Amino acid sequence: MSGPARGVAVPERRHARRSTERGSTDRPLLEVKNLRTHFFTQDGVVKAVDGVSFSLDDGKTLGVVGESGCGKSVAAMSILGLVSRPGKIVEGEILLDGRDLVQLSEDDIRDVRGHTISMIFQEPMTSLNPVYTCGDQISEAVSRHLGLGRRASAERAIEMLQQVGIPDAKRRAGEYPHQLSGGMRQRVMIAAALSTTPAILIADEPTTALDVTIQAQILELMKELRARNQMSIMLITHDLGVVAEMADDVVVMYAGKVVEQSDVTTVFEQPHHPYTKGLLNSIPRLGERLKRLEVIRGVVPNPLNLPAGCLFRRRCPTAMPICETAPPLQEIKPGHLSRCWLTPSGEPPAVGTAAPADVAEAAAAELSVEA
Amino acid sequence: MIGQDAGLSGGAPGAPRPELLGHQAADGAAGGSSAELVAVEDLVKHFEIRGGLLGNRLIGAVRAVDGVSFSVRRGETLGLVGESGCGKTTLGKVILRLIPATSGEVRFRGQPIFNLGSREMTSVRRDMQIVFQDPYGSLNPRMTVGEIVGEGPYVHGLRSKQEREDLVRELLARVGLNQSHIHRYPHEFSGGQRQRIGIARALALNPEFIVCDEPVSALDVSIQSQVLNLLDDLQQELGLTYLFIAHNLAVVEHISDRVGVMYLGKLVELAPVDTIYQQPAHPYTVALLSAVPEVNPRKRKKRIVLKGDVPSPAAPPPGCRFHTRCWLRERLGNPERCATDEPALREIRPDQMTACHYAEEITPAAIEAAVDAGSKASPPFAPAEPRVS
Repeated sequence: MSGPARGVAVPERRHARRSTERGSTDRPLLEVKNLRTHFFTQDGVVKAVDGVSFSLDDGKTLGVVGESGCGKSVAAMSILGLVSRPGKIVEGEILLDGRDLVQLSEDDIRDVRGHTISMIFQEPMTSLNPVYTCGDQISEAVSRHLGLGRRASAERAIEMLQQVGIPDAKRRAGEYPHQLSGGMRQRVMIAAALSTTPAILIADEPTTALDVTIQAQILELMKELRARNQMSIMLITHDLGVVAEMADDVVVMYAGKVVEQSDVTTVFEQPHHPYTKGLLNSIPRLGERLKRLEVIRGVVPNPLNLPAGCLFRRRCPTAMPICETAPPLQEIKPGHLSRCWLTPSGEPPAVGTAAPADVAEAAAAELSVEA
Repeated sequence: MIGQDAGLSGGAPGAPRPELLGHQAADGAAGGSSAELVAVEDLVKHFEIRGGLLGNRLIGAVRAVDGVSFSVRRGETLGLVGESGCGKTTLGKVILRLIPATSGEVRFRGQPIFNLGSREMTSVRRDMQIVFQDPYGSLNPRMTVGEIVGEGPYVHGLRSKQEREDLVRELLARVGLNQSHIHRYPHEFSGGQRQRIGIARALALNPEFIVCDEPVSALDVSIQSQVLNLLDDLQQELGLTYLFIAHNLAVVEHISDRVGVMYLGKLVELAPVDTIYQQPAHPYTVALLSAVPEVNPRKRKKRIVLKGDVPSPAAPPPGCRFHTRCWLRERLGNPERCATDEPALREIRPDQMTACHYAEEITPAAIEAAVDAGSKASPPFAPAEPRVS
């Protein structure tokens, strides 16, 4: 067993978390650099995460947005060292407070996982163990990471259940996951994840399976716990409303790559990448009745057979000849990155002209679905 | 695309529907007002819970739908919202007689359908179709697209293989799929494409009424809008009437002409879409709307957070079913009446029905006060102990 000293009665944070404690002030808490996680399947290599970089600052919430298959969950799994065969991190660094998690041994990463970084999953029914009581699932993490004894960890479990707003926590701790509603199960997951007072919480679609009124409860709960524990959250979701409400910074992913990255107001108000614009325009919004929704035509490209050049090219309304060359992720304004050839003001670059009709048509014909 | 100004109002009522299959609805439009296509009267569906030593003693019932009445007007889209377990899907299935009702009646074009014999029911079914939520579970993986879409026409007497294939190709084109995909199997398609196959199947018999049960909730955002626009276009072109069941309030607002809100097996509010979203007259509707996250980072709204979970439909609370979680009741000092008298659906404004005793008390000021009260009295979390700092 490696790791810090154990046996303290009151769990207190033993890992560095705030810049004052850490000494160096401008280093982000978590920094992902050029991460590539590939899956080597029988049919070929799936580049689920392909050169992704982002950082998570102390006490901030980073929203990671994208549609299914864009690699957002795999990126989270990579951070926690949960990628298993046929998947493999083939390149990149994941620096937690300067320490590269990719290089850690299985034992060492275990001490990070669930302790410094916790995760809550989308499906509370499948990620809680059905044969353990809710209390046991929480005390397991507590005794593993904080080294508390049986009674102390059981008490800690009840205390955590109270903290996440479960009424009659003592009784609930003795119940099994199937005896709880979806919202309650999600609270149990959050309680388990937060029982070790992690510095970082990775929440993968934490409210997607829940009803709106329960989603509202969970979001309020996460906000309150975030403020109280000063933790950083990496929030993975496809729900732009949830991101707008929770996040400080946003990363938009498409087909394994980051296509846009900035603070939340910039992304929502001045999106640069056509995909981000398309996403924002295609969702119906409460209180704004449009006759017709804009669509992003076509479908996400097959991950086994990605097109050359810009991955969004075939669905892009502003595709240009230059898009046959893959654009780099470039800074278009301070703190605002976009992977698109359009100029910062949204104009086609001087070298290229508007997309020739035959390119657009060929692309449309290739896709069976049209808008 | 088609019909720029036609909006959401659908084809003119009574306009002849274009033909897809060479059948015209049997002239069964006997009785019933012409505006009313489907009338649901005091519909009840209870699922029995059996238990006991041999597992066959009746020990209770899940009251999934518990006395719901409304009508769907010809050419409109009626949205039905509510949280999981409120009975909205069950309601849709009972209306189509896919599961038998416990009591009540459904009239289609004025004709009661629950007592129809199987032959008569078959002919009614041509005109009432359904699109399911899960595009993965609702298509038979061993059938080709042609077989899936062509099955209904075959059952209804279109025996010529060539004619069936022509029809299926026409339908595929209509829903935006490539006609050459007719011999492919469902697994070869993406979620959005599968949902289009499901829609083509529902259209195959040239129905007048389609129940759309969460048709876009399993799809990615960029695909959702494609399918919503398709449903819109088809309504314009074919003069369809939709019962659109969904839990996403923004989607329902977008597509519906009128909206019904369900809670624990009851319809608690029914009104035209603009009315219900701007002047909701039931505290549950208010809370639902307030719970939706705003897609605007500058408007991080405070909201009414309902306490607790939806009670079990096997043991719904007495009186008003919402009273155990109602913010309005709390504001009014917990009047007894809510816990004893079940409120009936009543008209509070023209065409706006609500099932709340105190609907008149719902004013913008009251809502704001409730939001403020909620955000001050920090929800029922244990007192924050200074854990780290």
